Amino acid sequence: MRSKESTLNKAPASHANPLNAYPMKEHGFIDFLVITAGFLLITPILSVHRVTDFMIFCIFVMSFDLMYGYMGRLSFGHMLFLGTGAYGSGLFIRYVSGNPLLAIMAGIAVAGLLGMLLGLIIVRTTGACFALINLAFNQIGFFLVLSPLRQITRGEDGFGVSASKLGFLNFGSRPIMFGFVLFCLLLVFYLLKRLTSSPFGIMLRSIKEDETRVRFLGYNTFLYKWLGFALAGSLAGLAGTLTALNYNYVNPNAMDVHSNVGVVFASLIGGAGTLYGALVGGVVYMVISNFLPIYIHRWEMFLGFSLLIITFRFRKGVWGYILSLWEYGIKKRLLRRSTEEVANR
Amino acid sequence: MIYTIVYGFTIGAILYFISIGLSLTFGTMRVINFAHTLTYTMGVYALITLVALFKGYFALVAILSVILVIPISYVIERFVIRRLYGESLDYTFIATFAVSLIGVDAIKWIWGVNPYPMSDPIGKYLMFWGLSLPIYRILIVMIAILLFLALNTFFKKTIVGKIVVAALEDKDGVRCLGINVDKYFSIVFVLGSALAALGGVLYAPISSIHPYMGLSILLLSFAVVIVGGMGNLNGTFLSAFALGMVMAITARYWSQGAETMVFIVMAIVLIFRPIDI
Amino acid sequence: MLEIKNLDVAYGHAKALHDISLNIETGQTAFLIGRNGAGKTTLLKTIIGLLKPLKGSITYQGNEISALSPEEHYLKGLRYVAQEKKVFSNLTVRENIEIAAYASGEPVDMALDKITSIYPKLKDFLKTKAGQLSGGQRQILLVGRALVGEPKLLLIDEPTQGLAAIVIEEIVSILSGLRDKVSAVIVEQNLAMVNRLADRIYILKEGKVAREIVERSEISDTRGLEEYL
Repeated sequence: MRSKESTLNKAPASHANPLNAYPMKEHGFIDFLVITAGFLLITPILSVHRVTDFMIFCIFVMSFDLMYGYMGRLSFGHMLFLGTGAYGSGLFIRYVSGNPLLAIMAGIAVAGLLGMLLGLIIVRTTGACFALINLAFNQIGFFLVLSPLRQITRGEDGFGVSASKLGFLNFGSRPIMFGFVLFCLLLVFYLLKRLTSSPFGIMLRSIKEDETRVRFLGYNTFLYKWLGFALAGSLAGLAGTLTALNYNYVNPNAMDVHSNVGVVFASLIGGAGTLYGALVGGVVYMVISNFLPIYIHRWEMFLGFSLLIITFRFRKGVWGYILSLWEYGIKKRLLRRSTEEVANR
Repeated sequence: MIYTIVYGFTIGAILYFISIGLSLTFGTMRVINFAHTLTYTMGVYALITLVALFKGYFALVAILSVILVIPISYVIERFVIRRLYGESLDYTFIATFAVSLIGVDAIKWIWGVNPYPMSDPIGKYLMFWGLSLPIYRILIVMIAILLFLALNTFFKKTIVGKIVVAALEDKDGVRCLGINVDKYFSIVFVLGSALAALGGVLYAPISSIHPYMGLSILLLSFAVVIVGGMGNLNGTFLSAFALGMVMAITARYWSQGAETMVFIVMAIVLIFRPIDI
Repeated sequence: MLEIKNLDVAYGHAKALHDISLNIETGQTAFLIGRNGAGKTTLLKTIIGLLKPLKGSITYQGNEISALSPEEHYLKGLRYVAQEKKVFSNLTVRENIEIAAYASGEPVDMALDKITSIYPKLKDFLKTKAGQLSGGQRQILLVGRALVGEPKLLLIDEPTQGLAAIVIEEIVSILSGLRDKVSAVIVEQNLAMVNRLADRIYILKEGKVAREIVERSEISDTRGLEEYL
């Protein structure tokens, strides 16, 4: 086989094209059922607490995928926003009010605000520059909560978070936490699904494909990118607030730079640019990192090899691969039907 | 204060050894190699194994360790890096990071997770104005300067060096003159990895040795390359030493902030001079 | 000598050339003219192997070459001079030629003699860094680089673009001195040059061959050609 360049000349780098991968269905309700059923099914196998973890991570992956899969910008510092959300809501509960809903909104607001501020600078960049500048800010944020702001954040030790009860919402109870996180996940899923099939979403994808052309058509691409970035940051902040409430604890690990690896992997394993892919990838990665070490001693090596195989053979990730198998099945069926028709004439 | 300067230069020298390879790989192949410091780590572990076998003869063992790492970097180049030419950033990140995962795990498997202690192989000090400066560190800086001069000669005087300089600017132009540039880029890659191993080997006696040591210095090397300019040999030299000084001076007043300060500098540079990959 | 049949070339999903067919005999100089974006540069890049066609064939001296790499094209005698006038700016003029001589196996001094005999003024600039040369000097260096070794087919993209009239004249005289010794496909907007040097003309429009001109009389009809620019 000749080099890959011989089959197709280099267009602007693009991932699996989401536009023709999965026909846009309007069956929102079925999605909710499927997702809820999916998570409920795995709960008896693992525990309620674990699956809650998984779901929070999935929200984080969806927020990351908005930037990576739809906008085409890879960030090595997305944990910054998760951590900001966690600290935002944690500090709110600690110093202002125990009301969990207000705390969540505070966390999202802080993360969103940070996204808007940093976005002004960061969104101008692309590629490696974008990835590394996010990394830099993530590292700076980590350092800030570790050292200079130690008085407020309690540095390395972190601090406990106990939200007060709000009506039936008692986050101390695991099933309630589970339900609430599931609700948030469905909400985020719905929001992103509507967004990505809206003109805004199509704009983002067009910018990913060929920004210059979009700009020539007269659109203010900077505005769209900035909004996308701020939104991704806010949603990551939501994941952060849920983390704080779930563990009743916040420490600098919520902003750990190394954890970015996980979300990038999850996005790729699942398949970038599709919401279901983000969910699948999130769950798969969580399972791998939590359970694989128990069964395979050299799980990191195994993960490394799997990733190499995915990069060189299964670009579209697990979900993308499943989709393409499904499409292939449909095509075969259509082909069979049409040849039958011809034969019957 | 003199100590700070010496330490700054030492770190700068080590950063220079590592960053040269990274900068050249960035500049030539447009590949961000997250596995670059794997050879750094492997060189160190080869060193501690050989040192146990050949007690004394540090210099010989050091050189041997660097040589041992070369076949490994060749394998990485042949089977992974070469396939990443022209790829988008995310795949090069994943693939090279996967390589580093595999490598670090292999090291943990063979040598275990615990840090290895090692001491200054020379252990002697230079008396200078009433201060005692460790000779070993000064030696490292001198080797770095020698390397800088050697590399400059290589790229200015040898035909291979000139081809690489030309290809850094206009790869297609060189190809259209009949030269298979990729072959030379591979040589550059292996050279860069060997230099990273050299950096590791030299730094090992005065730093902590553990399987993850490559990852922590990788990010700093990225900062050096960004600030110095990808593929810019002189720039990398200057920025390595500049950032080494930044680290040393920051560490003096604010011990935990050394690395963060480097990132702040990198962020500022990126804001005013975005790179194009 | 060079025969292109039904060539389709695309960038990603966007097709740039549709069903291109053309023909050059040995020793001929052909010109590609057309508006910006018509596909002229794309065509040259495909011939030299920097781009790969979707379908169609490129036959050179009887052999199919569309699948080869630029390095392999060079060894067969094809030489490409790009539109952007990129020289190796950090190297001297002499070193630029050194690199050009490397793959051909021709001794550097022989290459230098050959080029300075065509363009004697270059002798004064041998030690200058190529980045410091003027536009016209760069173009001459690039043509010089292409002539090292044994070139058989030159592919030159807009050699006179942005150059002063005197320099254009020098380039035209160099190229006319090479006629019959070397075949060439040249992209140009300068119709006077086309008039003086062309043996045949291909007019490209929106990725297709709009007209093929092989008659001398039609070539001189510059007004008729202008409408295609």
